[in-house]
Amino acid sequence: MDTVRFIVGVILPYLALGVFAGGMLYRIWVWRKLASPPITLFPAPPDASANAWNTVQEAVLFKSLFRGDRGLWLLAWAFHVVLALILTGHLRVFTHADALLARLGLGEQDIQAMSSGVGGAAGVAILVTAVLLLVRRLTVRRAREISGAGDYFALLLIGAIVVTGNMMRFGAEHFDLNLTRGYFAGLFSFADVSGAPVLQHNVFLLHMGLAWLLVMLLPFSKLLHFGGIFFTHQLIRKH
Amino acid sequence: MAETTVKERVVEAVKAIRKGPRALQMYMEMCARCGTCAAVCPIYYAAPEKRFNPVERSDLLRRVYQRYCTASGRLLAAFGGLREFDAADLDRWAPAFYECTGCRRCATYCPFGIDNSVITRKGRAILDQVGRTPKTMQKVVQISLETGNTDGASAAALRAALDFMEEEMRESHGEEIRIPVDVVGAEYFYVPPSGDVLVNPEATMGVAKVFHVLGLADRWTMSSACFDGANYGLFTGNDADMKRDNKRYVDEAIRLGARVMLMGECGHAHRIMKMMMEKTGWWGKLPFEIVNCMEWTADHIRQGRLQFDPGRNTDPVTYHDPCNFSRSCGIVGEPRVILEASCADFREMTPNRAENWCCGGGGGLSAMDDIREFRMKVSGKKKLEQIRDTGARRVATACSNCKRQLTQLMETHREPVEVTGVHDMLSRTILVAGKAAELVDYTR
Repeated sequence: MDTVRFIVGVILPYLALGVFAGGMLYRIWVWRKLASPPITLFPAPPDASANAWNTVQEAVLFKSLFRGDRGLWLLAWAFHVVLALILTGHLRVFTHADALLARLGLGEQDIQAMSSGVGGAAGVAILVTAVLLLVRRLTVRRAREISGAGDYFALLLIGAIVVTGNMMRFGAEHFDLNLTRGYFAGLFSFADVSGAPVLQHNVFLLHMGLAWLLVMLLPFSKLLHFGGIFFTHQLIRKH
Repeated sequence: MAETTVKERVVEAVKAIRKGPRALQMYMEMCARCGTCAAVCPIYYAAPEKRFNPVERSDLLRRVYQRYCTASGRLLAAFGGLREFDAADLDRWAPAFYECTGCRRCATYCPFGIDNSVITRKGRAILDQVGRTPKTMQKVVQISLETGNTDGASAAALRAALDFMEEEMRESHGEEIRIPVDVVGAEYFYVPPSGDVLVNPEATMGVAKVFHVLGLADRWTMSSACFDGANYGLFTGNDADMKRDNKRYVDEAIRLGARVMLMGECGHAHRIMKMMMEKTGWWGKLPFEIVNCMEWTADHIRQGRLQFDPGRNTDPVTYHDPCNFSRSCGIVGEPRVILEASCADFREMTPNRAENWCCGGGGGLSAMDDIREFRMKVSGKKKLEQIRDTGARRVATACSNCKRQLTQLMETHREPVEVTGVHDMLSRTILVAGKAAELVDYTR
């Protein structure tokens, strides 16, 4: 068991970040060097800056999907917005976000209230939207018939990360944020974190391990749409 | 032995996607499989079956790419997770890539901007490389490369058709309205689809009348060697054929000393000339520019240089946006300017412009009589409903392929709707020396 804790807690973080960064950089490097003859789809933005703005709208608002499938748009957009919110919330673990919030005039209790209020709601919301996306995939024919193991795996993986995350927030045994901060601060400074008490917390270990797995899969699965979206919309609307 | 060779050639062709273009490679890697493309596809609309799902079609290519070109694919293959490509798979490829009209409607709505038509064209290109292009399609390419036009018509046939048109215009307007041919030094070189000379003469008459009214009758010309902008290399995915066909027209424009190549009402012809040849500079810098006749005429209408008697054309008319003009060239306002000027009752179908549905004959399918039933029952179903809903008695469009498909669609489903062109409508109502033409039915 200690070996598992060591691998997940000490090796995996560096490995996952390395695989993610290397994978994404490799992808982007390959994409950039490939020729891209225009395949303009109209109505096309008149110039490069308008095209960039259009890409931002696509990435942030899912503009095309909004016109194409309103129901899916609602689900997918809600899912991604909540996901972004949750990732932002996690910055509290990795950074001095609390100090920044304090300087904005928020007291310790305000921050805690915001974390458990907004964070708690987000944890429930993302579970609901992920389940609905899964239900859609299973019930809507045009999605079901093209769904493969990879599509379900991605959803189930995210679901498992969400459930373990919620277990820590809503579970009986309250999770210690400060211990986690200490652990990540240790990782960042390349200190020996193998003895970090937080690694004894099984649910945390599972939550983090699955999250790193997801991070590693990003460049090598359909989750690549996370980076690709910034390229493909620009490509197809290029004048 | 031969089987191995075909397999190897297909696998090599798929591996070449790693060398680009960028869009195609990204499409191989980042589909989220949400099914939005299927929700907006005219074929899936009429036949919601897995084999007609755009993702499933694109997966024919994607599966081979993943097996041979991605780390995960090779890893899975090592554990027996992904099977090798088999030449017998082409038996599905061949019909599948010709069951997509390449209309790009999916690209309009895909949250990731994935254009399945790019994948379809690559699939067709690979089929072409191994000699599996459908015979009906290959025949059109051959005729076009041999004769310079998809109908295989001779220069004499063109001249006879133009003589007929001049005679008609003389009778209906009492004036000499000329259609110049092979005039070196003419400013405008008009390149219609051959169908608009041989089958739908009113389109070319309409263009001739515009030149006549503007007093530019001696400034334009057609060519007796190059009178068909249609280029089926776009449809078979064979770039070499496409460029070979195209070069002939570019050379002719240079020989004629034209300053403007005025493209006719043919969506893919205009797209190849404007968006591909001119934009990416296949033949370097050219002494002429590419303008579409609808842009040109609409501009003169906006400037108030052309007058009409729409009272001669009171039947309700709707406009079908050819995919290549609307989604691939952005020409949507111009045909409407012309139609609104020349029709008393112009009405839109829903949706329209860049969101309009395909006629069901795009991507060259219109020319394939062996899949007529598919075109009438499946790919054209949505278009039939759209046209019915307008209550129009005429549907104008600016593409010979769309016209052929729509005409067959109206006949098959016994709709009393005439299929016509944009300049055809103009020809019936434009005032020449103050009066419009006597109405003649050219459809008989």
